[in-house]
Amino acid sequence: MRDIRKKILIFRQETWSGPFTAKTDSSAPHTSERTVTFQVTMSQNAQARALAIGATAALLTVGGIYFGSGQLEHFDPALFWYAIASVLAAFAVGYRFTLWASRPPSRMYFKRALQMLLRSGPKYAAAKAPSAEVEIAKSAAVNFGAQNFIRKRSYFRWIMHLCLSGGCTLAFAVTFPLVFGWIHFGTPLDDAETYQVIAFGITVDTFSIHSVKAFLAFNALNIAAVFVLIGLVMAGYRRLTDAGERAVQTFYEDILPLILIAAVTVTGIALTISYKFFDGLYHGSMVWIHLITVVALIFYIPFGKLFHMFQRSCALAVTAYKKKGGAEAQAKCLVTGEDYAPQRHVDDLKIVLDQLGFNYRYTTEDGQEVHYQDISPKGRRRLIALNQGKALKR
Amino acid sequence: MVSSFFQENEFFLDQSRCIGCQACVQACGECDTHRGHAMIHLEYIDRPTGVQTAPVVCMHCEDPTCAKVCPADAIKQDDDGIVHSAAKPRCVSCSNCVIACPFGVPKMNQGYELMMKCDMCYDRTSVGKKPMCATVCPSDALFFGKREEIERIRQEKPVNEFQFGMQTVKTKVNMMTAPEADNVPVDISDFMAGSTFQLPQSRSGAPDAALSAVFELPEIVRLAKDQPVEELHV
Amino acid sequence: MAKLSLPEESYADQFGPHLNYQPEDGWDTREPDKLVDTHCCFCGVQCGVTLKVKENKVIGFEPREDFPVNKGKLCPKGVKRYLQNEHPDRLKSPLVADSITGFRKASWDEAYSKTADEIKRIQEKYGKDAFAFLGGASMTNEKAYLNGKFARVALQTANIDYNGRLCMVSAGAANKIAFGIDRAANPWSDIPKAKTIILAGTNLAECFPVLTQYIWQARDNGAKIIVIDPRITPIARTADLFLPVKPGRDSALANGILHQLIKNDWIDQDYLDNHTDGWDEVAATVEKFTPEYTEKITGVPAASVVKAGELWGPVDTSMLLHARGIEHHTKGVENVLSYMNLVLATGRIGKEGCGYGSITGQGNGQGGREHGQRCNQLPGGRDINNKEHREHIAKIWGVEEQSLPYEGLTACEIIDAIEEGKIKGLLSISFNPLVSIPDSDRTRKALEKLEFFGCIDFFMNETARYADVVLAGSLQEEDEGTVTTGEGRCVKLNQSVTPPGDAKTDWQIICDLAARLGKKDYFDYTNTGQIFEELARASAGGVNDYSGMTWERIEQEQGVFWPCPSPSHPGTPRLFEDKKFYHPNGRAKMKGFDYRPPAEDVCEEYPIMYTTGRVVSQYLSGTQTRRIGSLVDQYPEPLCEMHPMLAEQLGIKDGDTVKVSSRRGSIILPAQVVQTIRPDTVFIPYHWADKKAANQLTNRKLDPISKIPEFKICACKVEKLEDAPTKFIPLAGQIAGKPPSAPVKFYPKPPERFANS
Repeated sequence: MRDIRKKILIFRQETWSGPFTAKTDSSAPHTSERTVTFQVTMSQNAQARALAIGATAALLTVGGIYFGSGQLEHFDPALFWYAIASVLAAFAVGYRFTLWASRPPSRMYFKRALQMLLRSGPKYAAAKAPSAEVEIAKSAAVNFGAQNFIRKRSYFRWIMHLCLSGGCTLAFAVTFPLVFGWIHFGTPLDDAETYQVIAFGITVDTFSIHSVKAFLAFNALNIAAVFVLIGLVMAGYRRLTDAGERAVQTFYEDILPLILIAAVTVTGIALTISYKFFDGLYHGSMVWIHLITVVALIFYIPFGKLFHMFQRSCALAVTAYKKKGGAEAQAKCLVTGEDYAPQRHVDDLKIVLDQLGFNYRYTTEDGQEVHYQDISPKGRRRLIALNQGKALKR
Repeated sequence: MVSSFFQENEFFLDQSRCIGCQACVQACGECDTHRGHAMIHLEYIDRPTGVQTAPVVCMHCEDPTCAKVCPADAIKQDDDGIVHSAAKPRCVSCSNCVIACPFGVPKMNQGYELMMKCDMCYDRTSVGKKPMCATVCPSDALFFGKREEIERIRQEKPVNEFQFGMQTVKTKVNMMTAPEADNVPVDISDFMAGSTFQLPQSRSGAPDAALSAVFELPEIVRLAKDQPVEELHV
Repeated sequence: MAKLSLPEESYADQFGPHLNYQPEDGWDTREPDKLVDTHCCFCGVQCGVTLKVKENKVIGFEPREDFPVNKGKLCPKGVKRYLQNEHPDRLKSPLVADSITGFRKASWDEAYSKTADEIKRIQEKYGKDAFAFLGGASMTNEKAYLNGKFARVALQTANIDYNGRLCMVSAGAANKIAFGIDRAANPWSDIPKAKTIILAGTNLAECFPVLTQYIWQARDNGAKIIVIDPRITPIARTADLFLPVKPGRDSALANGILHQLIKNDWIDQDYLDNHTDGWDEVAATVEKFTPEYTEKITGVPAASVVKAGELWGPVDTSMLLHARGIEHHTKGVENVLSYMNLVLATGRIGKEGCGYGSITGQGNGQGGREHGQRCNQLPGGRDINNKEHREHIAKIWGVEEQSLPYEGLTACEIIDAIEEGKIKGLLSISFNPLVSIPDSDRTRKALEKLEFFGCIDFFMNETARYADVVLAGSLQEEDEGTVTTGEGRCVKLNQSVTPPGDAKTDWQIICDLAARLGKKDYFDYTNTGQIFEELARASAGGVNDYSGMTWERIEQEQGVFWPCPSPSHPGTPRLFEDKKFYHPNGRAKMKGFDYRPPAEDVCEEYPIMYTTGRVVSQYLSGTQTRRIGSLVDQYPEPLCEMHPMLAEQLGIKDGDTVKVSSRRGSIILPAQVVQTIRPDTVFIPYHWADKKAANQLTNRKLDPISKIPEFKICACKVEKLEDAPTKFIPLAGQIAGKPPSAPVKFYPKPPERFANS
């Protein structure tokens, strides 16, 4: 078997370190005012803003715990370390998300999505403008809910991912409110056979402890675990047998998250088995092991593959943006004369490229500017070949 | 650290040798990382006027524009300098990379919502095999091997620097060009379309397609038009 | 069989061509069980390729870099060749014609009995020669040998020929006349050593793509490349000189160039005096071929003719490579001999980097014509009319010399004889004459007249639809054997998988049939190796001597070049190194030919020259390659290439549907308006069948010596079809992955304007 390579992949985001330093030629007449201002403000603010937002997220979590649990009245001290981990993770997610979202390309999409919702931003001739709200909602349903794009890649991976993401989401939906003390269970004084679900101090549901509902409520985590296990087995099989995946997978990105999720799931199920069938054998130490695995998983989220659950929010913006761009004026390639992309997209990319320090501009003899972005990918492929042919006279 | 395999072997591209057979395209689809999908581009430059074709593989820029413009951190470059396809969980199919790549390489699979591109057959090169396209290419337009060898057998010179206007792009993949050149200046003024694409008439040398000058030589036109029926019966 | 009992579309529905895009159970990225080093089945380069086999299925390929000819390189056909295996159209049991469903499955016993009974009946009633045999040049040497033996010993018919008759015979006949041996004189490795290369009538980049590297290597070494073709081919694009010859005028152009050599004294008089016969006559013939005179005939500017002389004349080394472009003519042999004169006049032959080669079209184009599959030939390249040769072979076979038939009819003549009612029964293997022989209307009429037609093939080709019995044979990877490549190198094919279902290997079928005809003792083989041993023995002492070869040796040495008369002989990669030719006096024969026009030239009614050829993604009649989805996608249907000047005259734009007609038939297809073809010529590739067959139009006039038909020139007219609804007229049955068991559908008659006029 091919060894799982130790290679550390360079993520562009990690290598990017805040300031946008453009390699601009000072004599170039085209560096727009806007770009320069942006560079200055961003270089000072990126890191600070990320820290601030991370801190805010952490504070919000603390506040949420404090007030959601009725001034800690319903906070379960046994879950203290989980809560601490959650607060730290909230900071990390906030920090990392902000840093990522401030990168020029991501920032551009979020900005344009916001402008679409606010009906502002640059205007282009359009046939029929689609509604940004509808597009974003549609995309959320299709991409986040049904995960249609994965189904198109392969049914196997679709089921695998639904099991994993569905199972994990269910588990988190149960545990976080419990950890934060937002939800707790009670028993009416007069009826020991009935359970009450109390959220933020208000009783939202009551059911008999013998009902199906009660069974589902008490076993929600176990049910989630079953789904996750199915997903894990499928993912593991794929990682072991698919030659293509094996070639490009890395331990940190592709294997570690599976191991972490597996550890959480297995130790969680072991807890259930322990107190249900073995009178709580080793329960005490297993609680700690489970705690460690969960904390490790929570900390992995902002720094590894699982961060995609937050990053995919960009897909919502992108879908709406593409839809809008598609209905608007199209850019015409200077070489092929064909339409190749929405003019909006091409113009925005020029700004992004400036911010990233690329300068794909040509200046004509009469001082006019031609941007390489005004040539379609197909035109560029032709240009390369034609220029090589020119050099070789072929 | 670049692995020893990539230290010893490099990719060399000489589009002028291409005969358009598409063996590379067919073979590319046989790669395990993207079986059934060809990542290499092979197109006629302009079929109405000629048969020139050009294969385009990913040039694997040292500072990849595609990765920089990706809003989702989906495009990664590894220690060997290979720029990979978008990471499946991250790609949001925005097409920034497709539009920004100076070589026109990335392909957007709309159904998959996933950008896929040439990764120099990472499933093969990571275990010391040559990339599929460069192994099968019958014309050696795509060549993977040692630098000494190509310098020995070719008159053209490998360079890895391209000039797009004011932007210099350095790549891992080499392009063969004239011996006196140090880089490939990507000129656009010679090839601007206006509204329709037309090859410049000024290209000399080969009886290329460049307006198939051969068939429009006065002699041929005369022979073709004035004498549709053979006059010389022997 | 009489007429088809179902419409053509129903056969296409049941038996394809269907498109196979990926292995039946999807992409299998698991580890293969075994890797089999073998060769590609398409074209005469016979590239080495490694097939990945899992569970007796070919699941993929791996480039085979150890084979010295292609070093891992492949063309698109070679890459996707593995998809012909496990194809839904694959015939897995014998079929017998049935008037309701077209064909029904039958047992081998029934199929054999029916075939043998019919052979006996026809031969008793009409004589032995009334039953003919047609073989193929894509089959191994062993099968070619077996076919010849089967026809002469079991069928005892004179009328056996093969589809190489449509391919290489002009080159073969010319080589035999000039040098007394029918082979390329040089290994391909001589190409990079040449300083001037003429590519005459060969679209090398599309028909022999893997050889392109040799041409470019030569250019890297400073060689000049001359391309002679009516179209700008991919090699021509960057060649040093391109001679846009009018179709059918090749010998005149060769004469024009030779005229320049004589005029500038670029000939090797010593060599001519000592090693050739007939030079004076040749010199006299070309005397009038001044550049101006040549231009008038060939449509090549006089200045280019002069330039060609300058490039070819004074160099030290040179290679002539030619192909069907000059051979597919009623004067194919004359054309080849005229070009050979350029080689002999300069004495640049039999030396490193000096010589000639013919670009072989078929997988075993070379080997298929050496071992007795031809009507005039016995194994070892022997002459069937020569008593001595007959006795040698009769002894090997253990039969009486008198029992061997004499020379019979060639492939096209066999079809003609069927049409005339002289031949009543036919057995064919790996041959699709309905697509590949000119004037398909006449071929169809002939097939309808047959009293019995048996067909051995792995797919239901278009001709096989007319068969009474179809015997499910084997694909190349399902059997082992040897093949002789275009450079005369005999290579070994290895078996990757066994035939699926009830299908059998071809050689078993032939042997079984022989047994049914009461000749079991003569065909008592248990494996193909025994056939090769007999073949090698039979070839001993002949010109095409394989007697020093064994399978082991061939594999060990990555192929052995014949002649190889003894186990210690190293083989002969380059011929004539001793300046001895294979004629009794040891001298080469030169012949000069004055120009004569093609059999059908343009006239007022049919003012445009029509020529045919290949595209890179398809192979021959397309029986295999039209079934591989990604190859079909590359060039899905035939297009009519024409120059914008012609298109403008006719009011045609790129993509318009046009009707091209000749005196024999017409074809409706989209126009491709390109500046890469002579303005007086249109080109259509020939790989498609039925209404898309280019050979509906071509002329079945034969070369008097080689009996090759004139594929490369006839007269046609082109009209724009105004009411054509769409550019694309779908091909019947070409639906991806549809299994052959799909229920039979009856199509309404095709719209009248698509029917042939």
